[in-house]
Amino acid sequence: MYSRFYLSVLLISSLLFLTYMALVAFNGVMPEWKYYQLEYKDLLIKNAKDDAARKRAEAIPVKLQQIYLSAFNKEDRCTSCHIGIDNPLVANAKLPFKKHSGDYIANHPVDKFGCTVCHEGQGSATNKREAHAKGHTYWDYPTLPLSYIQSSCAKCHDFDMLSKKGGDKVAEGDRLFREKGCQGCHKINKVGGDLGKPLDGVGNQPIAYFSMKHVIGDHTVPTWLKQHFDDPRAIVPTSEMKVKLKGPESDLLTIFALTLRSDELPKAYRYKTYAQPPKQEGETLYKTFCSACHGEGTQSLYDEVLKRTIPAIMNPSFLKIADDKNLETIIKEGRNGTQMTAWKTVASGLSEDDVKSIIGYIASKRPAEAHEPFPIKDLTGDVNHGKELYAAHCAVCHGQDAKGGENLIGINLKNPTVTKMVDPEFLAVTIRDGREGTSMPPFGKEDFALNNQDIVDVVAYIRDSSKGSK
Amino acid sequence: MMSETQDKEGGVSRRDFLTLSAFAAAIAAGLGVLAGVIRYFRADVRYEESRSFKIGKPENFPVGSVKKLDDKKVFIFSDENGFYAISSVCTHLGCVVYSTETGFQCPCHGSKFNITGKVVGGPAPRGLPWFEITQDVDGSLVVDASREVPPGTKIRYA
Repeated sequence: MYSRFYLSVLLISSLLFLTYMALVAFNGVMPEWKYYQLEYKDLLIKNAKDDAARKRAEAIPVKLQQIYLSAFNKEDRCTSCHIGIDNPLVANAKLPFKKHSGDYIANHPVDKFGCTVCHEGQGSATNKREAHAKGHTYWDYPTLPLSYIQSSCAKCHDFDMLSKKGGDKVAEGDRLFREKGCQGCHKINKVGGDLGKPLDGVGNQPIAYFSMKHVIGDHTVPTWLKQHFDDPRAIVPTSEMKVKLKGPESDLLTIFALTLRSDELPKAYRYKTYAQPPKQEGETLYKTFCSACHGEGTQSLYDEVLKRTIPAIMNPSFLKIADDKNLETIIKEGRNGTQMTAWKTVASGLSEDDVKSIIGYIASKRPAEAHEPFPIKDLTGDVNHGKELYAAHCAVCHGQDAKGGENLIGINLKNPTVTKMVDPEFLAVTIRDGREGTSMPPFGKEDFALNNQDIVDVVAYIRDSSKGSK
Repeated sequence: MMSETQDKEGGVSRRDFLTLSAFAAAIAAGLGVLAGVIRYFRADVRYEESRSFKIGKPENFPVGSVKKLDDKKVFIFSDENGFYAISSVCTHLGCVVYSTETGFQCPCHGSKFNITGKVVGGPAPRGLPWFEITQDVDGSLVVDASREVPPGTKIRYA
């Protein structure tokens, strides 16, 4: 009736199905954590010092463990496998039975804090693969590598306190963040520049928000951050981010970046002093907001990434002619058409006082003697002669059109902010005296020997052509 | 019929054997399913805070001491007969009682309890419950506020 072939297919498939059902049932009865708990129990029974201890070990119930934390809306079942987490008897046992290292557990009892509040991972999972969630992009929060774990401390503690006790790395990351000038381009809490993305919430953004295409190794947020700090353009090819990090600094900054979270723990858990943050000095503010582009500020430098020359703003000859009012306008309004964004309060979140401190710091480098006055009022410029001189002396650095730009070491002279804010005398003095620390030579001296009339002609040409370009 | 289904030696015919094993398999599977269903009515864990908590090593509770654990709302006593835990939550409206010379006193509506937690006055409907104390594997005492024991149950641990 039926061929032997079909009957054997039916038999084999039935057997396979039965085996599968049996395995499912067995897995239901003997989940992964049960093996761990039985092994833990055996370990304690074997190592019991006396009969009472053995009896207690034998009485350990084998059951799913859960720490339910209504305050966090979390349920952590990690202790189903990490069952000896607060048991001093297994201080030196292997994982997952080992007691928690250090004395963190003493101040952060497991039944009050659970595990995932610091370690991340999927607390409600009941097997290792899903709980640790490593190597799967479909889990948003895999367990945090222990080398970055200090970022979790900042959920409840101040950097100030952390720097003294147990949180040296994250506190160091916070210091580096300010020193490396990250906020020159990135906003945090609405304070900072506009060139980069705001960093608020980057620490708990799900993996899907990061482009993992070029990331080597684990596709997790910490690896993305770390590799991005090491070489921004390797991870985001269009990035203009400037980093000057060495050694462990990229790790420290990664730890700090992970603290920038959009969520907040319940107030009862937070041990922060909510006093006003200490007022920063001008020098610190300069480092935080200006140094990423301007560096030390004494030398102008051609920036490979931004493709333009960045002016030396702390250079004595610049400061001689730029008074505080000038500086304030430039800082507050920025330079249109360049990467120098406006730093007035509404744009950058910097307070008036902060801007004043920065100006104060920059002005502190101003030399005591003023520049030699330039008799600009007594002379009238000849635009045509100025044009010839410009082509001969200036165009090589500032460009034929005086707009500066790629591969030119001179700045853009046609920038509206320059033409609007900079008075002719400023230009004339700069041409005559040059700019120390930059490639701008003193045209009034040495080989060039332009006289005051020549200089006024050039100024007239620059002014005239900038008017025409409008 | 019978002669067809039974073979000559009076044993079970092939067809009967198959029928019987089919029934047996169906019953086994049914029992398995039933066991599974009943099992799933019992939750492994619940979405509530655990009411069992460690209170520390027995030597932290010397004989004759009374400790009030404010956050856990329980008194821990230790006398020569052993340890015992009495709830500090008044059975009337849930205020936290304080201990007096003669027992416990509720500040809200004046309920009075004697030293074993029995009601001696006021509106409290029941005495203060005693909780089970067990010993954890590392030797710490564990109070389980979800398990009551009869008043007077004292347990000795080293």
